[in-house]
Amino acid sequence: MIAILLLILLALMIAINVPIAVAIAAVALIGTWTEKGIFGFYDAALTIFDGSTNFPLIAIPLFILAGALMNTSGISRRLIDFTAALIGFVRGGLAMVNVGVSLFFAEISGSAVADVAAIGSVLIPAMKRKRYAATFAAAVTSSSASLAVIIPPSIPMILYGALTDASITQLFVAGIIPGLLGGFLMLCLCHWFAVRYNLPREESFSLERLWSTFKAAGPALLLPIIILGGIFGGVVTATEGAGLAVVAALLIGGFVYREIDLKELHGALIEGVSQTAIVMLLVASSAILGLYLTESEVPQHFARWITGVSENKYVVLMLLNVMLFLLGMILHGAAAIILIVPIVMPLVQQIGVDPIQFGIILTLNIAIGQQTPPVASVLVTACSIARTDIWATTRTNVPFILVLIGLLLIVTYVPAVPLSLVDYFFR
Amino acid sequence: MTAFSRALRAALAAVTIGLLVTLAIVVVSATVARYVFNSSFVWYDEVAGVLLAWITFYGSAYAAARRRHLGFDGLVISLPMPYRAWLFTLAEIIGYVVFAILAYAGWFILQVMGTETLISLPWMPLWFTQSVVPVGAVLFMIGQAASTPEAYARIRAGRSAEMDEIDEEIAHAKKTQGTGDEK
Repeated sequence: MIAILLLILLALMIAINVPIAVAIAAVALIGTWTEKGIFGFYDAALTIFDGSTNFPLIAIPLFILAGALMNTSGISRRLIDFTAALIGFVRGGLAMVNVGVSLFFAEISGSAVADVAAIGSVLIPAMKRKRYAATFAAAVTSSSASLAVIIPPSIPMILYGALTDASITQLFVAGIIPGLLGGFLMLCLCHWFAVRYNLPREESFSLERLWSTFKAAGPALLLPIIILGGIFGGVVTATEGAGLAVVAALLIGGFVYREIDLKELHGALIEGVSQTAIVMLLVASSAILGLYLTESEVPQHFARWITGVSENKYVVLMLLNVMLFLLGMILHGAAAIILIVPIVMPLVQQIGVDPIQFGIILTLNIAIGQQTPPVASVLVTACSIARTDIWATTRTNVPFILVLIGLLLIVTYVPAVPLSLVDYFFR
Repeated sequence: MTAFSRALRAALAAVTIGLLVTLAIVVVSATVARYVFNSSFVWYDEVAGVLLAWITFYGSAYAAARRRHLGFDGLVISLPMPYRAWLFTLAEIIGYVVFAILAYAGWFILQVMGTETLISLPWMPLWFTQSVVPVGAVLFMIGQAASTPEAYARIRAGRSAEMDEIDEEIAHAKKTQGTGDEK
């Protein structure tokens, strides 16, 4: 009973704009105090420290640092040029370039808003100049950037892996097929829009331009191959792969391209550590809440309640998807993962869903949540750049959201899609 | 923004970036030692974990000074002014109470730790590594207090923190990438 009251109190505190990490810590402190008195506070101080030393999470600041180095050393720009030369000649090509670039870069710095601002401020004005509707430009940028969360390296996946002890490497591998499938479906949708609205081609295909941009982007293209190849091949762990990413970005940006802008890098680092700390404080404070919830057996009660409605695995997954979709509308991704994972994991295990598959389901729900107002920071950022109304853009965005929902249903009900590569390489 | 607020942000940012760079050096060194020299640092896991905890607490104080912690202000800014101000004050008080408790409990734990040390580095006292909890909690409160006037002005004006962040990021991206809006 106290646990339910505390969860209601948590919702009320979030509603009155108490920072979510602080609200979680507040209810957890009340919970531990009701059980252990003042000693509960001492436990909480120890637990919040332990919660922030979670080793797999070290990959988060390192990937963010690598992303900052890439963004400030000309690597990003060269990859945009290469993508434009590769697919820009197709009708509606600029929209497709946007999808390709967003899939690669979004989420790279750990701040979805900063990444969409960086990509969108280049591509959205360019699309508008080429007669693309502003709402369409915003919708493409926003939805493809959100899809990027299931393409490795993915910070929500690292977070989920650290909270559940699921293999982060396997989560990364599991994201590949759904990520490519989602990207392909988005490209098809862009093509459909392009034909229907007679959208222009960016420029004619030039083998010469493709070769020159490929040569320029070559070292940068090696970066994901080295890092992800190392992680997937089992040569390095996700944390070591993140360290490797920092070194590779430093070497390519500093010695090959010689373009690292130190002032820019300093700004990107400030933003990066800020994002790391925001996520990590959520993790640390949720460790206290997790301690309390486990002692109160809340996850077990939740599992009994849901399985009381139905014990059918597919019905339970549908209920979880609806719950995650609704949570995604009002919570940011990291906060949703941290709040929901400790509560639903026993249920997920009870109904026999692979934790790696559920990780992809959860991550895709977060992607959809970033597109559904009122809390939809990625969509709002794209709309601000395009200077469009958020609801008008949402109407244009519906087909893209439907692609994401379709992908979610495939991942939920066809486990082979996320798991076949994992089975092939690791099991 | 006051000079104190600016100095606080700059100091916290410098400390946290320093910790991040140190963490990157530790991870890369350990990876090189493992694959190139076939040896491993016994202290690697423990020290990297402590560095992450320090980044968490000092970085959180920095994020508090910039009001960047994730929250939902949609409901509060939709209310008329007196209620908006009251709820803002209540949310501020909750923040102070939570971190005051953590500062006190964290400080109490340090007394209990006595002469205990890290397992892999016997010369490193636990009170030093764990001191980040009370120190970080106090810095969080100072960061929150330093940014209160700015945050209150925003709430009074009915502006969302998220929109301010988005505007800031877009302005930054346009400046650094040399692009403007539609011509």
